[in-house]
Order: sequence, then structure tokens, then C-alpha cells
Amino acid sequence: MRAIPTLKISISGVRGVIGESLTPTLLTRFAQAFGTYVGSGTIVIGRDTRTSGEMVRQAVIAGLLSSGCRVIDLGVCPVPTLQLMVRRHRAKGGIEITASHNPAEWNALKFVNAEGLFLSTGQARELLDIYHQGDYTKVPGAEMRSVDLFDGGLDAHIQAIIDAVGILPPRPRPLKVALDSCNGAGSIIAPLLIQELGAEVVTINTTPDGLFPRGAEPIAENLAALSQLVRESGADVGFAQDMDADRLAIIDETGAPIGEDNTLVLATRYVLSMTPGPVVTNLSTSSTLDAVAKMFACPIHHSKIGEANVTEMMQQVRAIIGGEGNGGVIYPTINFCRDSLVGMALVLHLLAETERSVSSLLADLPRYTMIKEKLACPSHKIGEVLKMIRTTYADLPMDARDGVKVIFPDGWLLVRGSNTEPIIRLVAEAPDESRARGILDGVFANVAQLLRES
Amino acid sequence: MKPLKIGITGVRGIVGETFTPELAVEFAQAFATYLDRGRILVCRDTRPSGPMVRSAVMAGLLSAGCEAIDLGICPTPTMQLAVQQSDAQGGISITAGHNPSHWNALKFVRGDGLYLNATQAEELLDLYHQGEFEKAKWSEIRTRIETRDAIELHIDRLRQAFDIESIRRRGLTVALDCCNGASARLVPRLLEGLGCTVLSINDDIQAPFPHNPEPKRETMAQLRAVVKAGRADIGFAHDADGERIGIVTETGEPLSEEMTLAIAAEIKLSRSPGVVVTNVSTTSAIDAIAARHASSVVRTQVGTAYVSEAILEHRAVLGGEGNGAVAIPEIHATNDSAAAIMLILDHMAATGQKISALAASLPRYSMHKYDVPIAPNLLFSVLNDLRKEAETAHAKTVDLSDGIKFAWPDGWLHIRASNTESMIRVIAEAENEPRALEILSWARDRLG
Repeated sequence: MRAIPTLKISISGVRGVIGESLTPTLLTRFAQAFGTYVGSGTIVIGRDTRTSGEMVRQAVIAGLLSSGCRVIDLGVCPVPTLQLMVRRHRAKGGIEITASHNPAEWNALKFVNAEGLFLSTGQARELLDIYHQGDYTKVPGAEMRSVDLFDGGLDAHIQAIIDAVGILPPRPRPLKVALDSCNGAGSIIAPLLIQELGAEVVTINTTPDGLFPRGAEPIAENLAALSQLVRESGADVGFAQDMDADRLAIIDETGAPIGEDNTLVLATRYVLSMTPGPVVTNLSTSSTLDAVAKMFACPIHHSKIGEANVTEMMQQVRAIIGGEGNGGVIYPTINFCRDSLVGMALVLHLLAETERSVSSLLADLPRYTMIKEKLACPSHKIGEVLKMIRTTYADLPMDARDGVKVIFPDGWLLVRGSNTEPIIRLVAEAPDESRARGILDGVFANVAQLLRES
Repeated sequence: MKPLKIGITGVRGIVGETFTPELAVEFAQAFATYLDRGRILVCRDTRPSGPMVRSAVMAGLLSAGCEAIDLGICPTPTMQLAVQQSDAQGGISITAGHNPSHWNALKFVRGDGLYLNATQAEELLDLYHQGEFEKAKWSEIRTRIETRDAIELHIDRLRQAFDIESIRRRGLTVALDCCNGASARLVPRLLEGLGCTVLSINDDIQAPFPHNPEPKRETMAQLRAVVKAGRADIGFAHDADGERIGIVTETGEPLSEEMTLAIAAEIKLSRSPGVVVTNVSTTSAIDAIAARHASSVVRTQVGTAYVSEAILEHRAVLGGEGNGAVAIPEIHATNDSAAAIMLILDHMAATGQKISALAASLPRYSMHKYDVPIAPNLLFSVLNDLRKEAETAHAKTVDLSDGIKFAWPDGWLHIRASNTESMIRVIAEAENEPRALEILSWARDRLG
């Protein structure tokens, strides 16, 4: 097998390994391509706390200035803060320097359009064409503009959240939050927000030094220290962020991780209780969310996988809330993007308004078990696998917008090729583990067999 | 013609055309590779493209694992002194010196604070062209450090080297035109600290160059007016990065940039005779002044790096070039206009001599210069063709060390390829104007 590539240039930006593929020349060229694409003008930049952040920032600034952009630099800030500030500054776009949940040796550029959204597929393709064509706008020195450091981004983001959801109602004893920011971009803003809302906060991993204290993804296996902190401090809830602070994972008051899917479930439960309306999520999100929508008699729509697809559908159906099962909560009152800080505010409001615990709020919702498997699969074999699935379950309802999702009376199966790696993913969900396993096993061996034949 | 020149003086071009961020990034990577990482100081002049180039250079240095120290806007010699006085491995100055504002360039400085010499520059170019650069891993990569300390260090060093009490007692009035360049951060403060009355114009580092940053008579009209109106004892005109100065006398006369080194030589050699280093294109007045003071002149190819190397080799007491550049080896063996100002003020304070009187005491020659733009593919073949015709000049000596220099008993003609632009520079000097023009005609007849 070939060496695993350390560079990925795709519609979600450019991502690579520092010291290998992600060179300053590549970065400065991408920044020039973006400056060219937006037609010069103001660009807001921000970064997470990775050690390579300053190098990447300098390369990006050089490229943007060269293409005639004015740069507003927010410094270290979460992705959603950047997205908010792009709109506040009426900028032509934004670049966040972050490889979100990738390990420490990675970094990446993520491109945001003038509406504060990640570039749509079409926009991203246009940017890539300009990058590859290599004919960038170059302004003479006299027309070059400045880099303005702006340190008010975090305060503006906190204020936007407070304006949208208000501070927590008074309680005899304030809510207590245990926080793990993974030493990432949320390290400074998250404790401030929690206090501004009126809760107490105890923290671990809030030193923004880019040294990863744990796996960057806020998944259960990375959250042992936070679980312990919740138990030892007697916190009502534990919050864990990823490096760029767009995803949120939650620990309940007993110290148990509630599963990434349930972040959106709790946030949605609060939002719909205050303002009913349409909910949007992707095909792969747990059916618990459907149950929450049903509880408030609200419609729920399932988009293709990918944040851009979710936000696009949210705009179409004027969703009141949406997001993804990976802990990404999108609350359009503030931003059409995943925002762990908004997620915290909504969940804290739910706990305060209901005066119930995290575990009890989940206990009265239907529980499902989701099982995920993956198989190595060259991209030219994906079509064949999907065809086999469609044939196998020809008599069941199906959604073929993104891979194939088969709807069983008591669960579902999703099979799709990855956009970022040469693998095929199989996801099954059902009320209990044995049934979920049963659904998955119904195709797993056949898919593996088909791939072996190649 | 593409305005890009990659050569022994660094890399120079027009921003928005040939001088791209990629070019600056990759040269910084090559330089970091050449120095095997380590600490590198970076400064820039005040050109509007400076922040862009600075960021590109920083990205290149950081990616290669360097400790990159950003001195911000400061004169090139200030950075060079800071490199020499610290344990830095080298420096990069982001400046196109005397070139107009739309140009920019990178100039590379080695660990002793001097420019890379020709051999070292060739090695750097080889690394750049090979394109295989040092790459630091995520855990080795550093962050940029900003400091403004280099200016203080430079001021302290100059104050130690000259008789500042004598300057203070004399209470001189000095007019300055910093051309809104990097010297604006150094020279006004330096002179105010010496008790001088400073009449400063064009000292806003945010503003564009008010005129070409080349201290020639043509660019000194404003300074002359300030000298006369303010009854200044002397006026100094600066380039963009603090390497060259031009002088206006207290009578308001702007001196040729060739006179700057002549004045420095007269002062220096009258105090301590020795070797003066200058290039083959500089006025013969230097030879006459050296002869007065039982001193000698060593001539090098054109370029600061050559002059600096010869200063060290010959333990010279002074160096410089006819473009207004002066190097005072007690400070460092490289061009430093602030050091030259200190030498001149020190002399004026010690002797009470007017600068016009000093200038009048020096031999003056008639010099004519002109430049011939040449397509890059013809630059050296044109020179070679001229060499073949050398005997038709009937010169006493022909020096081929840098282009062609013909010398006659009463004058000389120098024809050479520029290091920084795609052009041939022609310079003729003689004891009088008609003879200088006559000498020049040999070149005019052949180059147009």
C-alpha cells in the first residue's frame, strides 16, 4: 500500500503535516488564491493554539497582503468566533488556521465566505481552480493594505450569545461546570462565557499552548480526566471542546460521557421548548433527535453529511436549530456554524430552566445504540458496494443522497464512502446493541467479501 | 524586461510583479537551511510592501525551525550590529536600499554582522535553486519574537565610540531628511541625545518616500531649504535603510554623494593614517586624500560585501563607496550612515571647522554617470564585446576586475554590469568637465 498521504487539498480546505507537506509556500499560495477569489477586500483571520500557528499565520498574511487584502487578525480564537467576526466586520471572507481534531503535527486552512459560512462545494471548487491556475492578483507595494490586530473577538462572541439566550435564571446554588478545552482555541473564551452566564467553572487543559494533553477529538475515550474532574468537583455537567472549539462533548453529573450525539439532543430540547421550529441534521445522526423533534411536534430534516450541507438545508427550511451527531450544534440566531460555546449556553439553560440533571433529561428520551465499522475500500469500488446494498434491500425505504441509508422498521443502516480517506463506513442504529449488530452483520460480511474479490 | 535580480547582493524585484511572497518565503527557507537553523534577526525599511515581505520571511524562517526575531523597522546597519553583538547566526534586511518605493529586496547577513560574500551568496543561491529546504517538525517549530532593543544597542555603541561631550558642548544645529525611511527611528533620537538642535523633515515611518531614497544632489532640494532657513551647521540626507548619506553644507550647497566618503576619509586619515577601502568606481579624490595623509587605498569590486571583506583583510581604518556609503571599522566593517554622521559631527565639534570649509579643502573632480538598460540575456555579452575593443581606448591601464576600467593620467572610465538591476553603469571622471565628457564619449559611441 502507498504511504498515507500527509496533504489533503479538497473542498474543505487544505490540510497537511507540518515539516512535511504543509509548506509555507503552499500556504502563502493558498492565501493568495483566496485573496484573488474574494477580489481583495477585508479578510478576517484567526487560529487555534497549535505550535505551528504563528508560522502558518505569517504565510497567510503574506499571501493576503500580496493579493491586496486588508487583514483583521483575531489571534487565537474559536472557528465560530471567526465566523461571527467575518459578518460583524462586513469582511469578504475569513481564514481559520486549524486542523480541528487532527493530531498536533497537522495544521490546515479553513475558508469562510462573506456570510460567515464555510465555502460551499461550488465556491470551494472555484477557489481550488484559482489555486491550481496559479495566476493570482498581485498588487504593487503602494496599494498594499495593513494587518490590524483585533482583540475584541472573544468579547463580541460572548456578548452575542448572552444577547441571544440571556443569562441563566437565578438559582439557590449556581450550576457548576467542569471544563476541558484541550489547551485549544476555546481555552480562554469558554471559562469566561460560563461565568458570564452565571455558572461556576472548574477547568483542566485551558492553557492555550498547543500541546495536546489528550486526543483532540472530544470522544469518550479522550475524556477520562474530565470525568474524574466532574466527580471530584461535584459538577453538574462536564464540557469538552476540540482544538478549534466547534464541537462539544458532555459528561453527565455522574461522570459518564453521554455520547456525542446527545449534545445536539440536549441543545435541541432546550431550543424547541422555547421556540418550536424546524430541525436539521445529517443522515447519520441518532434517531433520539427525531424523538425530541416529535416531542415538540416540530419537523426534522436530514441532509447529506458535512457541515456545509447541514447549514445549506437549515437556510432552505429556516431551521431554528440544527447540527451533527459529532457534537456540532448550529444555532442560526448567532451563527450558521458549529459552535461549542452556543452549545454550552443552550445546555446550561436547559439544566437551569428544568432544574433537572443531565442524566434524567436523557432518561425520558428513547435510547438507541449506534455501531460504526469501516473497511479499507479504494474509491473506485465504492459504487459497487453501494449497488450491492441497494439490491439487497430493494424492498425497504431508502435514502441514496449520500451513500445509501436503509430504513428498517426498528432502526437504520448507512453505508457510505469517506471523503477524506480510502475507506467505506458502515453505521447501524437500533434500540439495543444486539439489534444494531444484527443490522450491521446483515451486510458486513458481504461487503468485506466483495472488497476481497477486487 | 522583468525587474527581478537574484544575485550576490540578495534578491531584488518589483512587488506586484516579480517579487512575490513565494519568492521571499523560499529565500528565507534557503537562508535558514544555509545557516542550519539558529537565531536570525529580521529588519525592514518603511516601504509599504514591508509587512507583506516580513510575513513571508517569517513564515520561511519559522518553518525551517529558526528562532526568528523581528526587529521591526530599523536601519540595516542597526540589525547588522545586533547580529554581531549577539549569538545570532545571521540576519535578513528587507529593503531595496536606494531603489524606488515599488521595489523590495532581501539582503542576507552572516553571523559576524557582514553581508554574505560572493562565495557564500553563491552557496545560498545553490540551496535556493535546489529547493530542498530544512523543515522543522511541529514540536520543533518556534514562534516569532518581537523586540525593539536593537536601536538602543546601536545608539549606545555609537555614543561609546565618539566624543559625545565635545559634540554636546558645541551645540550643533543639524538638519535631517530621513526620506521617511528606517533612519527616522534612529538618527533624530541619536542626535537629540547629543544635545544637537535637530531640524528633522520626512521622519514619518508611516508615510511614503517624499522623493527617491537616493541621497543625490537632485533629491536634496528640500533639505537645502531647511538648512538655510534653520541656519543649520550641516544637513544629512538618507536612503531608505540607513546605509548611505548625502551632505548639504551650512551654505546650502548639496555635495555630490561621492564627497561623503571623501569627507570621511579626510577626517579619519588626518587622525589615524592607514588603509582606506573603496570600490573601483569611486572618485579619485580618495587617492589624493590618502596621499596627503601618508595613507593608501585598496580598490575592490563594486558591492558592500567586497568592501567589507577588504576592510577586514587590510585592517583598514575606513571603507565606503562613492554612493554615499561609509563604513567605520571601529563600529563595524559595513555601511552605517549614523556612524558616518557621528564621525563628521565629532570632527566639527573638535575642530570648529565649517563643513563647507572642509569640503572646499578637498580635491574635486568632474564625474559623469549614466546607465544603459540592457536585456538580461545581453548584459555580459555586451561587456565582453567592449573588452575586445579595449585597445581602441588607448588607456594607460585597463582593469578587468569588475567590468572594464580604463585609466589615463588625467581621468578614468568605468563600465560595469549593475549587481541590482539589468543595466550597464558607465562612470567617467576627470580633472575637468570637458575631459570627463571626452572620456565618456568612448562609451557613448559604443553603448549609445
